[in-house]
Amino acid sequence: MGVSTFMGLQTALRGLIAQQEALDVTGHNIANANTLGYSRQEVTTSASRALRINTGSSAGNGKAELGTGVDVTGVTRARDRFLDLQYRAQAMRLGGLAARVQGMESIEGALAEPGETGISKELQTFWTAWEGLANSPEDSAARQAVVEAGKALGVSLAELNQQLTNAAGVAEGEYAAITGKGGEVEQKAKEIALLNGAIRTSMTEGAEPNDLLDRRDLLLDELSKLGQVSVTELKDGTVEVGFGDAAAPLVSGTEVDWPQELTAPKGKLGALLELVEPGGTIESFRAELNGFAESLANAVNTIHTKGGGPAFFTYEAGKGAATLGVAVTAAEVETASNGSAGGNDIATAIGALRGGAVDRAYASFVTRVGTEMNEAKNGETNAQALLNAVEERRESASGVSLDEEMTNLQRFQRGYEASARAMTALDEALDVLINRTGRVGL
Amino acid sequence: MTMRITEGMTRRTVLQDLGATKGRLSQMQREISSGHRITRPADDPFGAGRTLQLTGELEGFKQYKSNADDGVGWVTATETALSRITDTVQRARELLVQGGNDSNGQVAREGIAAEIEALTESVKQEANVTYDDRYIFSGTATETRPYELGANDEYAGDEGTIQRVIGKGVSIGVNVNIQTVLGNGAAAKDDKLLDVLRDIASDLRGGTAANAEALRGTDLERLSANLDELTRVRAVVGATTTRLETAGTRLEQLQEASLNLLSQVYDVDMPEALVNFSSEQAAYETALRAGSKLIQPSLMDFLK
Repeated sequence: MGVSTFMGLQTALRGLIAQQEALDVTGHNIANANTLGYSRQEVTTSASRALRINTGSSAGNGKAELGTGVDVTGVTRARDRFLDLQYRAQAMRLGGLAARVQGMESIEGALAEPGETGISKELQTFWTAWEGLANSPEDSAARQAVVEAGKALGVSLAELNQQLTNAAGVAEGEYAAITGKGGEVEQKAKEIALLNGAIRTSMTEGAEPNDLLDRRDLLLDELSKLGQVSVTELKDGTVEVGFGDAAAPLVSGTEVDWPQELTAPKGKLGALLELVEPGGTIESFRAELNGFAESLANAVNTIHTKGGGPAFFTYEAGKGAATLGVAVTAAEVETASNGSAGGNDIATAIGALRGGAVDRAYASFVTRVGTEMNEAKNGETNAQALLNAVEERRESASGVSLDEEMTNLQRFQRGYEASARAMTALDEALDVLINRTGRVGL
Repeated sequence: MTMRITEGMTRRTVLQDLGATKGRLSQMQREISSGHRITRPADDPFGAGRTLQLTGELEGFKQYKSNADDGVGWVTATETALSRITDTVQRARELLVQGGNDSNGQVAREGIAAEIEALTESVKQEANVTYDDRYIFSGTATETRPYELGANDEYAGDEGTIQRVIGKGVSIGVNVNIQTVLGNGAAAKDDKLLDVLRDIASDLRGGTAANAEALRGTDLERLSANLDELTRVRAVVGATTTRLETAGTRLEQLQEASLNLLSQVYDVDMPEALVNFSSEQAAYETALRAGSKLIQPSLMDFLK
């Protein structure tokens, strides 16, 4: 079988086309160097199918394969699925811990400890007022000081309790905003469903929709910050997305099933739920604060009623921090169990509560808030570092390196030039053949 | 294969490192400007709890010190009154010795009796002394005058003790139960000061030989016994003063020690913090400079 005269032109043309496509993809990469979630793309090429020719020689049975140039077989994205899984696991952890830190920051701030404005300071002022009263039990100003210090303690406790309520309210509001109608979860799920449809169409036509896949992966990354995401890739190119501990898949094909009930979705939503749920962080803080308020009231009341007088503090059981109040007027403050003007055994005994179980209960409450905050902060830093490490590896595999793209630009440009030169050489050869052959003597 | 390094990675690394350094700088800044190592419980949860307890302890020491100072005021007033009473009793003793002498006629004895009665009034007046508007010799009935002036010698106060707390679980009584010295007068026949003084006056006025004998004998003995008792009580008061003053000094030292301890937990070591701050700042500047060199160039600067 002979070979077409113009085959070489075709070969050169294939080269030109392939180099140009590679240049286009390089340009696409450079354009998207800073696009979030973009994976660099590469043109894959292979030598096109060779022509079998007869050489007319006895060597090799008189046959040979003549190369016909290059074919572009596809445009692929550089992506490591395994790193995506790792990324989403860490993003989920980080999302949860960051939300926890944020939720507890207002509580820690409201404590204002250690400092001049916290409850510990007021507690000390309260004890000092009693000790002052013990030194001059006849003094009505000293009695008033005790009552005022007690009231100030009640107000501060109620304020701190209110801060706990506010923090819970903020967390609940944020949870509702994210999971509600038109919230972040639904928005992202809808976009994933749309992308699923578009990707399926492209895939059935045989093309790899790289940019759509990147976008879908980015959405899954973002969704994983909110809660645990499990992704099942189906043959038609769509993904089925499970979210948190929702019973049904959030996205299946082009369908979105939302809202659904979540109990422990992990991630940011999980942390928000944990803060406000019964037995959760805020409730346990409140219980400890109530315990402190009630132990303070009981310790003072036990001594105050020793001489048959009224209780000093009142509170509603189980709501001590919110309801602690002073039950007596300055004149009703008891200083001595025998009722004498100058006796101070009651005032002395109440003053001596300083540094005792009540103070320790408050200090241990502060320590506990600090410890939990500290753990969450350390966890956040740690998760951030791990996420950074995964992201670095992912960036290393998928990110656009401008140096590399510049090198490729040069490479493909040279390839294009060389293909054009090959075409010129053939053209010149054909010129000789067509225009000069058989013109001897003309 | 070696790791591909992209511009994005370099940029992120530079940003992360700068962010971390800046975070440390701002934390140090917060510590230096507040002077405290712990500005929120999460900075050091156990340190924060300890700080609260040490602050409470310190407040306690301050209060004990002020209790002790107040106690010193109280016992000083007590001591002054008791010393005046002693002087008065000594004067009464002199008069008694003089009045016991038979060379004095009844008229002279009547005069001495009147003076003894005046001295009795002044003893009661001294017992009614107040400190900071409180009767210090009434036990815990500090708003009741212990003795009425005049013929009624009945003690009107109670037997309560007034305590000043000068340490955790340590308290000291600062009042003197004057009843044990002055008693309840002639009606009670308790051989206490007022009883004896009243007897002396009546013996001086009695004019019989038995009266004169009593003046020289039992009255003198009983008065001397009361003087001894006064001296004993004053010794106790003196000891209380010393204890309170010693406690005050000790509390000042404890306060200092407690402040030191608190400072170790709570306060910033300024020289160290400032040195760390400068070195961190230098690190930050170096990182900025290195970052700017790392981010700027690319192959584009070198390709034609």
